[in-house]
Amino acid sequence: MSRSELDIGLKVLDHQLLDKNGRRCGNVDDLAIEGGPGEVPRVIALLVGPGYWGQRAGWIGRLAGWIGGGSKVRVEWSEVTKIDSAVHLRNDATKLGLGRGDDRLRPYVEKIPGAGR
Amino acid sequence: MRTLSSLQKRKVETESGRLLGRCHDLRGELTGSNLCVTGLCVGKNAWFQHLGVRSHDQHTVVPWEAVVRIEGKRIVVRDDATN
Amino acid sequence: MNKIFGLALGILAAIGGFVDIGDLVFNTAAGATFGYQLMWVIPIGVVGIIVYSEMCGRVAAVSGKAVFDAVRERVGFKAALGALVSSEVVNLMTLAAELGGVAITLQLLSGLPYRWLILFAVVGFAVIIWVTSFNWLERGFGYGGLCMLVFAVAAVKLGPDWTKVGKGFIPHITQNNPTLYAYFVIGLLGAAMTPYEVYFYSSGGVEEGWKPKDIGLNRANAIVGYLLGGTLSLALMIVGATVFLGHGIAPQHLGTIALGVGDPLGKIGLLLAIVGILFAVGGASIDTVFSGAYNLAQFCGWEWGRYRHPKGAPRFAVTWLVLLVLAMGIVMTGVDAVVLTEYAVIFSVVALPLTYVPILLVANDKAYMGRYGNGRLANGLGLVYLVLIMVVALTAIPLMVLTNAGQN
Repeated sequence: MSRSELDIGLKVLDHQLLDKNGRRCGNVDDLAIEGGPGEVPRVIALLVGPGYWGQRAGWIGRLAGWIGGGSKVRVEWSEVTKIDSAVHLRNDATKLGLGRGDDRLRPYVEKIPGAGR
Repeated sequence: MRTLSSLQKRKVETESGRLLGRCHDLRGELTGSNLCVTGLCVGKNAWFQHLGVRSHDQHTVVPWEAVVRIEGKRIVVRDDATN
Repeated sequence: MNKIFGLALGILAAIGGFVDIGDLVFNTAAGATFGYQLMWVIPIGVVGIIVYSEMCGRVAAVSGKAVFDAVRERVGFKAALGALVSSEVVNLMTLAAELGGVAITLQLLSGLPYRWLILFAVVGFAVIIWVTSFNWLERGFGYGGLCMLVFAVAAVKLGPDWTKVGKGFIPHITQNNPTLYAYFVIGLLGAAMTPYEVYFYSSGGVEEGWKPKDIGLNRANAIVGYLLGGTLSLALMIVGATVFLGHGIAPQHLGTIALGVGDPLGKIGLLLAIVGILFAVGGASIDTVFSGAYNLAQFCGWEWGRYRHPKGAPRFAVTWLVLLVLAMGIVMTGVDAVVLTEYAVIFSVVALPLTYVPILLVANDKAYMGRYGNGRLANGLGLVYLVLIMVVALTAIPLMVLTNAGQN
């Protein structure tokens, strides 16, 4: 395999997403691919969020996804800068709509003394 | 538009009906800001091979050009796909 | 010199933190039921946890990933979801058992009502975790747990028949009540190799920022620390055998277990035993609640870790708080802590394969490990223990049913 060749499921799917500041902001829950037989298919977007768990694991996935809030975030492939053990993104997590759960909870958590430095 | 997960686990058969195995991954090529799909990773024991119990390079890669159509629960490839 | 000092401190913390409520209950009960006949199981359990902890630590140091991070990537979404659900269920049971244990020791020390002490303990843990750094959490409870060494002193002072003790190290099957004997073998192994320990150990490695250069030191820390900590399990069994077997007592209460020390060493010994149990089980509670929060956060891809502070990892912080509250709810129902412990240990045995198989896979994966992947020793031992774990996992529930959870 030449260095730019990779197994997509193994190297991209289910891997950690890191934004431009190294912040953990989700896992790659699925990938959107455009193009079929006779064309050259391209991976056009990362699909992130519990809303995509149903298509990964049937009814259990749907249940887990529902418990998890069912959110769905689509991140265009152009946002990806590097793939090593994680998938690195060009932008801030918040700008991409990722890590919203943490952002929503942070104001409450911050009110308690000792919450951070 | 398809998802990667929808392609994984599908049976891969030739036009004449020979079962090559299951698609457990897609081979891709990363160039600049594009990730293109170049082939299907096909193997008999999809789960074992994904786990890497045997070396991950031991599965067969069917080039994407050999894919004829994607229908229902399977992917149909040309008869000469594994040559 | 600094490194040696650091290593020594780490080893001390590992010894003090080795025992948890599962070890307390099963080792003492095993001694009280079968005397020294089950001594041979303890070294097997200790080596098992050393082998897999070492792997987890190496994975964390080289790849910067904790076990559950790697699980989802390596074995796929469905299997990881299964591992998550099973580990969270078992984790919650274990946490409830540990909290119950903490409340009991607080009651022994203070005489205050049990249910108030449960609330006090939970609030106390919440505050302590909120304000204390990861390093000090581990060290603090670890050093306090060194009071458990009084069990080793007691074991020697009780003057057991050392030839009989030695014979107990030779693996053998007993003629009298083999099903109950087998149940205890499973329980002892399960108590030694609990899943939450490896999850916690690997995430802890990321919390502490281990790098490949730290591998040697951490390996030494784990091996020496756990080996010496394992002697505490031996001591518990000896105390159980000499104090309780002789008198026909079944130690169904933590206070009884502590009295095993009070017998040869008097009031001071008893006090140290209770304090030791408090810190050991308290430290285990923290390890367990973190393990539950780590697994969920890592499965979902959230920011995680004490090192990020609650502000940096809000969902992670809320998760361990919620787990504490849920566990408190379980303990408040009045369920007996010792009974809950037995169920927690047996159920975690069933979940062991789902925990350990991915570790072995990841530790061998060149993509994660580069040139630090498993060598022949790690793989040889890893595989042997994997087979053992499978056997144990399959027989755990049937044996529990057959022996009525050891009440035979």
